[in-house]
Amino acid sequence: MPVRFNITLCDGPSCIHKRSKEIVSTIEGELKKHGLSGKVGINLSGCLGICGKGPVMIINPGYTIYGAFTEEDIPEIIQQHILKKKPVTRFIIDEDHLYNRFFRVFGDVNFFGKQMRIALRNCGIIDPENIDDYISLRGYEAMAKVLTDMSPEKVISEIKKSGLRGRGGAGFPTGIKWELTAKEKSDEKYVICNADEGDPGAFMDRSAIEGDPHTIVEGMVIAGFAIGAKKGVVYIRAEYPLAVKRIKKAIADARKDGFLGENILGSNFNFDIEVRLGAGAFVCGEETALILSIEGHRGMPRPRPPFPSVSGLFGKPTLINNVETWANIPVIILDGADWFSSLGTEKSKGTKVFALAGKVKNTGLVEVPMGTTLRQIIYNIGGGIPGDKKFKAVQTGGPSGGCLSEEYLDTKIDYESLAKVGSIMGSGGMIVIDEDSCMVNIAKFFLEFTQNESCGKCTPCREGTKRMLEILTRITEGKGAEEDIDKLQRLGNMIKKASLCGLGQSAPNPVLSTIKNFRAEYEEHVRNKRCRAGVCQHLLVYEITDKCAGCAACKKACPAEAISGAPKAKHVIDINKCVKCGACFKVCKFNAIKKS
Amino acid sequence: MAMLLRWSCQFKKGGEVPTPLEIIRKKRAEAINRIISKGYLSSKRVYVGMATCEIAAGSIEVMEVFQEAIRSGLSDVYLSQKGCAGRCNLEPTVEVVEEGKIPLKYGLVTKEKAKEIIERHLKKGEVIKEWLIK
Repeated sequence: MPVRFNITLCDGPSCIHKRSKEIVSTIEGELKKHGLSGKVGINLSGCLGICGKGPVMIINPGYTIYGAFTEEDIPEIIQQHILKKKPVTRFIIDEDHLYNRFFRVFGDVNFFGKQMRIALRNCGIIDPENIDDYISLRGYEAMAKVLTDMSPEKVISEIKKSGLRGRGGAGFPTGIKWELTAKEKSDEKYVICNADEGDPGAFMDRSAIEGDPHTIVEGMVIAGFAIGAKKGVVYIRAEYPLAVKRIKKAIADARKDGFLGENILGSNFNFDIEVRLGAGAFVCGEETALILSIEGHRGMPRPRPPFPSVSGLFGKPTLINNVETWANIPVIILDGADWFSSLGTEKSKGTKVFALAGKVKNTGLVEVPMGTTLRQIIYNIGGGIPGDKKFKAVQTGGPSGGCLSEEYLDTKIDYESLAKVGSIMGSGGMIVIDEDSCMVNIAKFFLEFTQNESCGKCTPCREGTKRMLEILTRITEGKGAEEDIDKLQRLGNMIKKASLCGLGQSAPNPVLSTIKNFRAEYEEHVRNKRCRAGVCQHLLVYEITDKCAGCAACKKACPAEAISGAPKAKHVIDINKCVKCGACFKVCKFNAIKKS
Repeated sequence: MAMLLRWSCQFKKGGEVPTPLEIIRKKRAEAINRIISKGYLSSKRVYVGMATCEIAAGSIEVMEVFQEAIRSGLSDVYLSQKGCAGRCNLEPTVEVVEEGKIPLKYGLVTKEKAKEIIERHLKKGEVIKEWLIK
């Protein structure tokens, strides 16, 4: 009995352009010629996301992907593949890297076809609570490879060669960090996974741990081998109960299967991991504060040097990396540093995960190669701004980052270019802001967060952010003075210079970058007492227009009794009594209340 | 499946101590066998997103609908959970994979929609196009 084949042709726009429709009829004709009509299924699929190599077709079983062929090649493919069961190798797209499996695994190509998933390669594909799923997709093979035929020096040189940089935000070269820790001589060393993710609106680490916890475990074991550590700690905030549960289960399962513990996979290497919960202080994402918190002290940064690589947890050499960094390690070991360093830009290699949020159609978790532009992420993957609104700004790097205006949309994403235009890569929060948001208010929101989270050790950060917040509040209430903007800049620059840790050094960024890119809005708030987005309540003026039918609904709703007027006649708002609560605006059925 | 099997290799014979790489290959083969024995080769595989964000959007209820359907006799379907696939605004998501076909992903799935997916897609093979994520 002949094997029943299924041919799936990509029916995306670029494949149609390359004559995929005609190819379908050629295939049908060819099958008929061989008496195979009905025995081979022909399907059309949406765009498969390999447009560069179109037309694309997949022949199953076997998942052979053919690309860049023409109608003339069809008879050969049918004869060889379908009749003789010998795939025609010259058209086969064989890129079975760990990372690009997604176009065969995700159906959702409009969203995923534009991404490249390395750190999130298994997220949304495997059952995170089943170790078998991870093992079956080459899980723990990188660890076995390291234990079988790599020396610690070789591992470190491989990571160094890959050009991987810390994904927590600062972008310190990971390989050098490993090398520094490996060089220290000590009876005990530690490996730490920093999963204390605190940026408002960011959820990269949570999703990575919840979707694929074993890759973190594997990355940490490899690092333990490379630097000579026997103990690892995952520091994760207690606010992520599901992530905590899954990483704990992953560690227990790995231990049971011999991937953790003594004599891992029959080698003489021992390593184990424990989980420590953080109470959710933002500053504990800073490495020295995190280490103090694990030790049981109050989480407060301390001056460096000594760096953790010299004196870290319990005074021992400690290697600390972010979740996303760990998730990259197994791929680098398996696919090689040369391949990894071919991705990205000159100084930033590989990919970066972003939590795309705010005013964008497809909010979600995306992973793109470094060097992708902000415009590509927001418009191609994110689908643009909903409701035909105008793009105003994009905020990268969370409360430590900056707001970039439209002119910076073509900035390529890497550590240096983002820093150059006044923002930071950060851990990967990306919040899109449309014309309905007030930039002064956004800056105030982020500053409120950092001001709350300041640990209080350095006076400039503790007192300075408080004063900045007061000035910003004043401006949004319409009480700002002309010199306030310069004062904010002066104070901000001073806090940046005089703070010990990253929190203080970056806390003024949202304010400074919005002043730089949206100074006109600040000036409007100060001089004209006007908020163009209509967000700052105190600056709004409510007015009743001629559309008013005199129904008195607003009069009843007004808590300040500021509205007066006879029934069925136009009502009037007394501006001096108005508390700008917006209650009248909400109840009016005639759109008669104007907010400006 | 071909993808899974491609990476599984034969275990080295002879009296030598196996290297970690050989051990992991054996373990992979075992893991694949365990997955298959749970019904991975069923004609349809259903994945329900179960990350914090998906659960917040109501994926536990959706999962229960599928579990209940399997308990009450729905066969030839492999049900599994998965982590976050990144489509935050369309959660909960349910993915239906048939061997040899492009995976299909439903967005904004509710209890009612899940029941209909079971009736129409899983039992009758009818793809509910208007609920698919495009």
